[in-house]
Amino acid sequence: MKLEVGYIDIKGIRFGDYNAVEDGILIVNPEPLLEPVLEDPLIKSAHFEIATPGESIRITPVKDVIEPRVKVEGGGGVFPGMVSKVDTVGSGKTHVLRGMAVVTAGPIVGFQEGIIDMTGLGAEYTPFSKLHNLVLVMEPVENFKQHEYEAAARLAGLRTAAAIGELAKELVPDETVVYETPSVAESFKEEWKDLPRVGYVMMLQSQGLLHDTYVYGVDAKRTLSTMISATEVMDGAIVSGNCVSACDKNTTYHHQNNPVIHDLLAVHGKLINFVGTIITNENVYLDDKIRSSDWTAKMANYLSLDAAIITQEGFGNPDTDLIMNCTKLEKQGIKTVIITDEYAGQDGKSQSLADADELANAVVTGGNANEVVVLPSLDRVIGTLDYVDIVAGGHDGSLRPDGSIEAELQIIIGSTNEMGFNRMSAR
Amino acid sequence: MVKEIERTGIPVVHICTVTPISMTVGANRIVPAIAIPHPLGNPELPFDDEYALRRKLVDKALEALSTEVDDQTIFEV
Repeated sequence: MKLEVGYIDIKGIRFGDYNAVEDGILIVNPEPLLEPVLEDPLIKSAHFEIATPGESIRITPVKDVIEPRVKVEGGGGVFPGMVSKVDTVGSGKTHVLRGMAVVTAGPIVGFQEGIIDMTGLGAEYTPFSKLHNLVLVMEPVENFKQHEYEAAARLAGLRTAAAIGELAKELVPDETVVYETPSVAESFKEEWKDLPRVGYVMMLQSQGLLHDTYVYGVDAKRTLSTMISATEVMDGAIVSGNCVSACDKNTTYHHQNNPVIHDLLAVHGKLINFVGTIITNENVYLDDKIRSSDWTAKMANYLSLDAAIITQEGFGNPDTDLIMNCTKLEKQGIKTVIITDEYAGQDGKSQSLADADELANAVVTGGNANEVVVLPSLDRVIGTLDYVDIVAGGHDGSLRPDGSIEAELQIIIGSTNEMGFNRMSAR
Repeated sequence: MVKEIERTGIPVVHICTVTPISMTVGANRIVPAIAIPHPLGNPELPFDDEYALRRKLVDKALEALSTEVDDQTIFEV
């Protein structure tokens, strides 16, 4: 598949009396954008706020982060099966509003939503502090069912991002990049025969109970492992419905900009032969874990891979899916590197993963999610601080009287991301 | 917990959904459970069927407790 992605750089967001992108500035007229959001009977109120990099702003609790994109040419529309009709995406031309995101926030959906700080120490840990954020703050009606409100808030965010993406349809991009993925037959061409055949195994969170990911609208826990083109992922074929710990949840933005996919494509045909992407789930039944990892191994073998990168989402029992995927590939002679994060205790001395195997001998870590950080009090809060003490990573007393927060890294969105999306590193 | 209790000489059976983790942490007697959100039951079953399922799990766990093992053993239900 071949996808031309036109990046339109967004340098600022401001409110106005019409919706448009002009000279890199997104102008937002809230009323027409909020109308479809408020049509949902579960959403009592909604409004927008703007957060700019460097401002003294704390956004919490954050549900999802979404990059506005629009299909300009080719089949389907963004977020197929969710916002657009089910139709294969990943070909033609797509425009991206780069440098901004739609962030959904407000009174809590699940107890594992987190924080984006736009300045200070917290900003260092989350990639989203570097974006111009249009925050959609929603409030549910009383007596809502949590899973129904999750679906409502998820759709509201995706629809809003798609509507803003539409504003970029006729614009001239600042940069255009062409991404192309080979068919199986093409991957065997003479020119690449000396390059290692590398695949990407992307594990999707699918534990249920607000821990879900959707592929073309399908709940990933109801699927067997399958294949997807890297360019389909860029067009929003995979979206987050997750309320797993903030630090290692893959937001929709992470999927749209999956760094493993982008880095593999960047060296494809040069250092390696990037053959394809396998998606697999992380279910709560042992039989599912065995079946899905068996299937992953079968497809890796079918693609004649020499090596694979495996990424995870969440932690705990998904560590078993990770180790099964890793060992089953290794036992077929396929070298693996896993990208994960650690829950090694606040002192870093405990076992990092719930499961382990000596075949998992090449590991990239996103960091220790239990590490304690102190985030300074910031001037403005978008959303509410009411839940800081009870979300994952927080504890009773996390929110101090002076407005500062003492909590584990878990509480910061994307801080230990297991796709390797982070900026911080250590030697 | 499993290992600390066993260290005092009391045998332990670990009823656990993800048995590979139980193996990794070193439990000796392992009985596979139903699912992570509901290890000891299945809310999708009618009451009588679920009661029978729960009974079967406990019976298997008691059987495991009273069985001599010389290596880590999974007692399939």
